[in-house]
Amino acid sequence: MREMIVSELTQATQELVREFARFLPRLMVMLIVVLVGWLIAYILKWILRSVLRLIKFDKLSENAGASQLLNKAALPSSTELVSRFVFWIAWLGFVLLGISALGILGLQEYVARFFVFLPRMFVALIFMFFGLLAASFFSRAALLWAVNTDIPSPRLLSSAVRVLITVFTASTVFEELGLADSTMLLAFAMVMGAVMLGMAIAFGLGGQHLAQRFLEARFAPEKKPKEREDELSPL
Amino acid sequence: MPLSQDALWYKDAIVYQVHVRTFFDTNADGIGDFRGLGQKLDYLQELGVNAVWLMPFFPSPLRDDGYDIADYTSVHANYGNLEDFKTFLQAAHERGIRVIVEMVLNHTSDQHPWFQESRSSRDNPRRDWYVWSDTDTKYPGVRIIFLDTELSNWAWDPVSKSYYWHRFFSHQPDLNYDNPAVREEMWKVMKFWLELGVDGFRLDAVPYLVEREGTSCENLPETHAVLKELRAKLDQHFPGKMLLAEANQWPADLRAYFGEGDEFHMAFHFPLMPRMFMGLKLEDRKPISEILKQTPQIPAPCQWCLFLRNHDELTLEMVTDIERDYMYDQYARDKSMRINLGIRRRLAPLLDNDRRRIELMNGLLMSLPGTPIIYYGDEIGMGDNIYLGDRNGVRTPMQWDGGWNGGFSSADPESLYSPLMLNPVYGYQAVNVQSQKRFDHSLLSWMKRIIKVRKSTPVLGRGSIEFLYPANHRILAYVRQLEKESILVVNNLSSSAQAVELDLRRFKGNILIEMAGRNIFPRVGELPYLLTLGPYQFYWFRLRRI
Amino acid sequence: MAEESILTDEFLRQLINVGEADILVGVPTYNNAATVGQVVQTIRAGLLKYFPRERAVIVNADGGSRDQTPDLVRGASINDLQHSSDLYALRTLHCISSEYSGGPATGTALRTILASADLLRASACAVVSPESTTIEPDWIERLLRPVYQGNFDFVTPLYRRHKFDGLLMRNLVYPMTRAFYGKRVREPYASEFAFSGQLGSHFLGQEIWTHEVGHTGTEISLTISAITGGFRLAQAFLGAKPHVDARAADLVAAMRQTVGALFWSLEPNFSLWSAQTESQPVPTLGTGQEVTLEPLHINRKRLFGMFCSGVAELQPVLKSILSSPTLSELQRLAALEEDDFRYQDELWARTVYEFAASYHKSVISRDHIVQALAPLYRGRAFTFLVDNRDASGEEVEQKVETFCLTCERLKPSLVELWDGRK
Repeated sequence: MREMIVSELTQATQELVREFARFLPRLMVMLIVVLVGWLIAYILKWILRSVLRLIKFDKLSENAGASQLLNKAALPSSTELVSRFVFWIAWLGFVLLGISALGILGLQEYVARFFVFLPRMFVALIFMFFGLLAASFFSRAALLWAVNTDIPSPRLLSSAVRVLITVFTASTVFEELGLADSTMLLAFAMVMGAVMLGMAIAFGLGGQHLAQRFLEARFAPEKKPKEREDELSPL
Repeated sequence: MPLSQDALWYKDAIVYQVHVRTFFDTNADGIGDFRGLGQKLDYLQELGVNAVWLMPFFPSPLRDDGYDIADYTSVHANYGNLEDFKTFLQAAHERGIRVIVEMVLNHTSDQHPWFQESRSSRDNPRRDWYVWSDTDTKYPGVRIIFLDTELSNWAWDPVSKSYYWHRFFSHQPDLNYDNPAVREEMWKVMKFWLELGVDGFRLDAVPYLVEREGTSCENLPETHAVLKELRAKLDQHFPGKMLLAEANQWPADLRAYFGEGDEFHMAFHFPLMPRMFMGLKLEDRKPISEILKQTPQIPAPCQWCLFLRNHDELTLEMVTDIERDYMYDQYARDKSMRINLGIRRRLAPLLDNDRRRIELMNGLLMSLPGTPIIYYGDEIGMGDNIYLGDRNGVRTPMQWDGGWNGGFSSADPESLYSPLMLNPVYGYQAVNVQSQKRFDHSLLSWMKRIIKVRKSTPVLGRGSIEFLYPANHRILAYVRQLEKESILVVNNLSSSAQAVELDLRRFKGNILIEMAGRNIFPRVGELPYLLTLGPYQFYWFRLRRI
Repeated sequence: MAEESILTDEFLRQLINVGEADILVGVPTYNNAATVGQVVQTIRAGLLKYFPRERAVIVNADGGSRDQTPDLVRGASINDLQHSSDLYALRTLHCISSEYSGGPATGTALRTILASADLLRASACAVVSPESTTIEPDWIERLLRPVYQGNFDFVTPLYRRHKFDGLLMRNLVYPMTRAFYGKRVREPYASEFAFSGQLGSHFLGQEIWTHEVGHTGTEISLTISAITGGFRLAQAFLGAKPHVDARAADLVAAMRQTVGALFWSLEPNFSLWSAQTESQPVPTLGTGQEVTLEPLHINRKRLFGMFCSGVAELQPVLKSILSSPTLSELQRLAALEEDDFRYQDELWARTVYEFAASYHKSVISRDHIVQALAPLYRGRAFTFLVDNRDASGEEVEQKVETFCLTCERLKPSLVELWDGRK
């Protein structure tokens, strides 16, 4: 009995050692892959950063108003952000590659799915980035236009534009990610509806004077000529 | 080469204008003569001209270059005698060259026996042959032509103690054409020369024959009546002879001198000439095409006479003030080049001795509708001497060669009627017939060729003209047409190369044949015909449908 | 890739027919049939009267008019085909027209005119607005003669104007151009001006045509180009400036054309303007400009209201453009009563300089920066109107001069801001 236990134990230990011996090279491979991956990702980041600096990507995003957005979110400059993002994606890819090298069955499947998912995530992120940029740009453009044409409640208009674009962006992003398609569509529809209703009410209540004036101008003859700023040419 | 029998010979003529005095001297007196002119007829025949217009050669005190005639039926002793003239006339006719002589109807010299008689007493039978008045206030407002020398059209005659009328110099009293005796006498004078065989007359200063109170005394109906009477007699007794009018007037006024084909055969186109020079300087066809557009149609047998330069100043009477100022500034910056209302210079110096411009202007002269007149010496590019008085600067001796007196005379140089041109550019050593004959590329050789081309077709002399108006205003283009034959003329008035698109759809299918070199140009199609022309270049194309 | 020509083949053919010219007058149009006929007739009369001997051409650059504008210009041609007896001309006068592509844009029109002048080797060119109904034939001489005689390369106009006309010009464009570039050009953005062929070719070769300023505000760029290129400037007194100027009716558009182009020019010319410390007068030909004082009703209240709402509503935008002391000063002003409100010279100059620096740094979209200046300008215009309500012409001029000097004095602060903080 004792012998049996010993032999079993020995056998088990041997098995374990054998298993471990079999697993050890894979682990080492994984570690090497992760390390080399880090190196490659780092080099990639460095190259990307140089290229982006060379093409003055910062200035580009500044013009588009992205920098301000990033500032607001206490994020580093857009060049830095993009290169860091690429670094992490690349390294994560290598880490997952390493894990799959371990040969653990279930894990491998997840890794494979991650790699399939990766491009969609990329696209979604880009959508989000530009969507938020556009939201910021157009909301400001609306604000300036409203102020300069003396339209009441410029802020409201500006915010409405921002919400609209953001919501639209979010829906696009989620759809791209393929996350709960129908649920998201429904959620989007609801939000959109709510926003529209809100705007309708807001305009109805807040803009009734505007609407009144518009209708008056359109259908009732003007009683006194509107005084125009440009009675005199500014130039 | 006999004379052609065509009564319309003047339409095909190329006229050479010359003064006997200036051409060739055979008796070593320093003055050209008829024998000399006769000796040089071969030269004129070689040049290709087929008519000679002789400036006044009659006895005269020569105070207005012979236009002050003291005897209408004789030859000035300086130039020979009547026999010499007859010999010359016959020699010319033998060479197919017709002779046109000058006839000054309007006035005589104050040395003419008629005027001497007329002034001798108030009741002399010839008193009424001139226009006399007790006051100098008749015909007020009549313009004075020789502004630089005359103050009034009336001059005081101390002999008969009254005023006589003169439109030109005061030594040229006007004949009184209201007097039938005067008209009869002048016809006799013309008959005298016609019977000798001359082919036509250039009638000087015709607008001024008759005076009437309250008018400008120019172009009066009575004047036209006098001229029509002369023409009728000419046609009746001497068919085939020609009358050429010198009337410095606007085209509309000139038109009357053709009558209904019953007055003059030809008349000078005075307004065109300064505009040709102006168009060249402006590099713009507008002045030329505009004046030709304003030129009225003339009866079929009639013809315009075109010229670039003549013995007078380049007259600027028929231009506006702006145009005159422009012409003065461009062509006569030096005030001594100006006289009366004109510029006293020859062709070559006017065009800065630029061969291309001289050729272009001669090309225009030969291709615009009319009979061209070449002023002696211009065919070799002679210069002028603005330091000689009056218009004598353009009347210097013909330059035949580089030898003694330029080959003009064997007299002492000091005894010549006028000094020769001596400067290094235009002097007789540089510009003369002999040297130019030797080279194919000389102006003289070129002139011979262009005259030959001109004479190769009756279209240029007799055809109609129709202007093309290409959008490029530096290009003057027109089509000359006679019956089925058409010639396209394209002139570049600019100093730079030009591209031009001509609308020739009317001639679709025709081939263009360049007349000087007889080269073929592409066929005319539906598209605008594109031509490129070098500076001052011109083309004459015969349009042929083959 | 071959560079695309802005001249159509058809227009090129017209130019070939015009050939070399001495004088070119450009007329940029877009649906100006109501006035262009009269203007072109006057130009023609001026050319015939003052330049009868010169080879002249009138070039119309049209933005795609659907009225008869180009026909009206072409109809003023003088040639041997259409001869009218009441008009005497020594030579042919071509009036040609080209429709440029891309829709109406003053910059493209000017470029077309410049390219024509360059190709025709015109030695003197003028541009005349088709809306200048007050034009007289002698304007042509006053503009062109100084250039044609070879004494000057760029002639800007001086007009007889109402004291409240051209507020943007008086309160911003003129003083700032003067402070930046050191030349006292009263109308740096003019509807009439003349330039030499040399300057035209120089400007045509500049790199502005692919930028926004190559479409709008090109006129002020030409002025700046003339100054920075060391060309000889002059001003010529023309006469009364017509009141209506459709180009400038929209304030924001006017600001884009002037302030936008002015700010844009600062970038490539930094070394030039940063070294410029004071301004020199520009030779003035003819009697000096006058100011008319006839009463005019202007809605001042609206200006003030738009200023106040602008400062309030644009707070987040202004925060990124202006320094905090300037912004808080503006907010303090916006809270004042109308009667107590004064937008003083110094603060206004500082505001503009900070806008210029922010434009340079592109803190937000550059176009938004220019737009954000508009409400503040309204406040300044309000102050100008109030201050000069009863002022004589001379006093108004004096006030403008004082403001110019303030701008020149404060200019070092812009140089500091240029590469400095924020």
